[in-house]
Amino acid sequence: MISVKNLSHIYSNNDKLAINDISFEITKGETFGFLGPSGAGKSTTQGILTGLLKLQKGDVQVAGYDMNKVDNKRFNKIGVSFEQSNVYSKLTAKENLEFYSKLFDVPTRDPEELIKLVGLEGKENDRAGSFSKGMKHRLTFARSMINNPELWFLDEPTTGLDPTIAATIKNIINEQKAKGVTTFLTTHNMYIADELCDRVAFIIDGHIKLIDTPKNLKMQYGKKLVDIEYVDGNEVKKETLKLIDDKDKKRMYEIINNYTIQTMHSKEATLEEIFIQVTGRGLI
Amino acid sequence: MKLFSSYIKEMKIAARGFYFYIEIIFAVILLVILLVAVKEESISKDAEYLYNDIPSEVMTYLIEKDINEGKARIVEPTEFEMKPVTFEITNQETGEVTLYEFEEEKIITVETVERLDPETGKLTRTAYITDNEEDMIRLSYLEGQIGATTTMSADGEFSYKYYLQGYETERLVDLLYILHNESGEVLTTAMDSQVVRTIGTEQLLNNRENLLPMFIVFTGSLMGFFIVMAYIFLDKGEGVIKAFAVTPSAVWKYLISKIGVIMTTTLISSLVITIPVMGTSINYLLFLVFLIVTTFASSSLGLLVASFFDDMVKAFGIMYGFMIALMIPAFSFYIPSFDPVWLRFFPTYPMLQGYKEILLSNGDTGYVLIYSLVFLVGGLVLFALANLKFKKTLTL
Repeated sequence: MISVKNLSHIYSNNDKLAINDISFEITKGETFGFLGPSGAGKSTTQGILTGLLKLQKGDVQVAGYDMNKVDNKRFNKIGVSFEQSNVYSKLTAKENLEFYSKLFDVPTRDPEELIKLVGLEGKENDRAGSFSKGMKHRLTFARSMINNPELWFLDEPTTGLDPTIAATIKNIINEQKAKGVTTFLTTHNMYIADELCDRVAFIIDGHIKLIDTPKNLKMQYGKKLVDIEYVDGNEVKKETLKLIDDKDKKRMYEIINNYTIQTMHSKEATLEEIFIQVTGRGLI
Repeated sequence: MKLFSSYIKEMKIAARGFYFYIEIIFAVILLVILLVAVKEESISKDAEYLYNDIPSEVMTYLIEKDINEGKARIVEPTEFEMKPVTFEITNQETGEVTLYEFEEEKIITVETVERLDPETGKLTRTAYITDNEEDMIRLSYLEGQIGATTTMSADGEFSYKYYLQGYETERLVDLLYILHNESGEVLTTAMDSQVVRTIGTEQLLNNRENLLPMFIVFTGSLMGFFIVMAYIFLDKGEGVIKAFAVTPSAVWKYLISKIGVIMTTTLISSLVITIPVMGTSINYLLFLVFLIVTTFASSSLGLLVASFFDDMVKAFGIMYGFMIALMIPAFSFYIPSFDPVWLRFFPTYPMLQGYKEILLSNGDTGYVLIYSLVFLVGGLVLFALANLKFKKTLTL
């Protein structure tokens, strides 16, 4: 669905490459997470893939379209949800979606159904200007589905949303995935990426450091740990033991056999920890 | 269909904001000013420049008679500094054109008579009486006011030559004539030998009509330039241009829908002013053609300027500069003596002249059509540049 080969990009007001010779492929139906801190090159890459930024160097194919050639028809297959909400504040939620539905050449979804889907039922006829930041974000998210996209670009889809709404959004993304929609997810939230993505790419300073599935990354870079709290005499003690270390395994058996266990939790390395381990940088 | 949807959407947004109403309210205010505050004729308190080619005894007699009847009073002579100037005068009856060239600056002192309302004693206008006809013509041109030469034949009959600016009506000429004469007999005789010469344009509009071109240009074209920028900056602030850019619809459709809204408001506001003043006396088809192409050109200029800036604050300096520059030709329009060649390159110069030609009963249709084409082509070029710039600047 997306093929990127040796992509580079530089802004006119900067000597440094914003994107430096990156390559990756995304297959149909895949949810691909593009992870990195602010300024890493995530939005620039998404800008090029969506056609909002002109392709300077490299070969990029998106939804069967060569990005060297300008063809607006490709947007019939693409949906884009921006990080910053961008809806007409003087139009109602329904009018916003109705207007965008008329700009496509393909069958579109019912605006009211989409409004309901993102939890804005009852707000159809309210002007978007009266919406909270989270509500506008949901409307922007709903708009990106108006044309039943085959390829879906999501930029920080759950940022600023409360946990309940964020869960709803994650469910919608999973439902779309089940329908075979390919998703390019740009985020710096590793938990979202871990939950939703089939594969993730770590990007920093315009370079892709690695691409793999979250599971493989955890296996490769993570160290399975167990936190144990036990009672030794009158004292409560706590130890963290590695499950892949024989010495730690013996110690765990010893504690289990000789002391009263209060709590015991297994612990996996998070994508964020792996990101820091791989890139040497945090995500903020 | 996409274009129509965009236009309808833009109209909804415009109708829910205040910019839409600014132009129309402004037009209504201007109309009220035109109908209430501007009289069709305005001879009161005007100045006139006279040269009297009649025996001094007769002149003295006439002035003293007016003074005795409370119609005039002599005041201190007035000094005028006349700059070098070159202009042409067209004789309306014969079409003969006379070139006047004054290369030297000249300072003259002229006799000054204030004309009074005999009932109230209030000043109605001031007459400046020169020693020779050339000074009178030069002053009339430089001051942008009516001039007149009075002559008396051997058999005692008066005749008059009026030098007008071009926007006075025939009725005003007659009124001026009456003001200079007492006897009905003389009036008739004088009317027969009256010669009217026009400085500047040859056709005539009354004061109210003469203000219309400026009002239409300001409420239409200049407001269009400003408001289309305001609409763009509102959209930039909301980021909706980017959302539009990721649809199969072309950016030019988005831009043209903005111009469509400006055209709608401009048509409403211009007709609000024009219909009550001009009635059915003008060619509305020609008027609408000129209005649409000039609005298209000025809105396209607004789009192009807006494409270089992120918000209104950053664009304010250049926007203000453009608006001031575009207003300068109005000075030339009302002060014919200020008509430098460079001013003709300002787009509002032919706009003002074009509207004037449309309002005149037998104006120059060719001029209007030629400039309609110029504005159409110019507008298309500006629009193409704006479209190109917008496509380039739609970055995340």
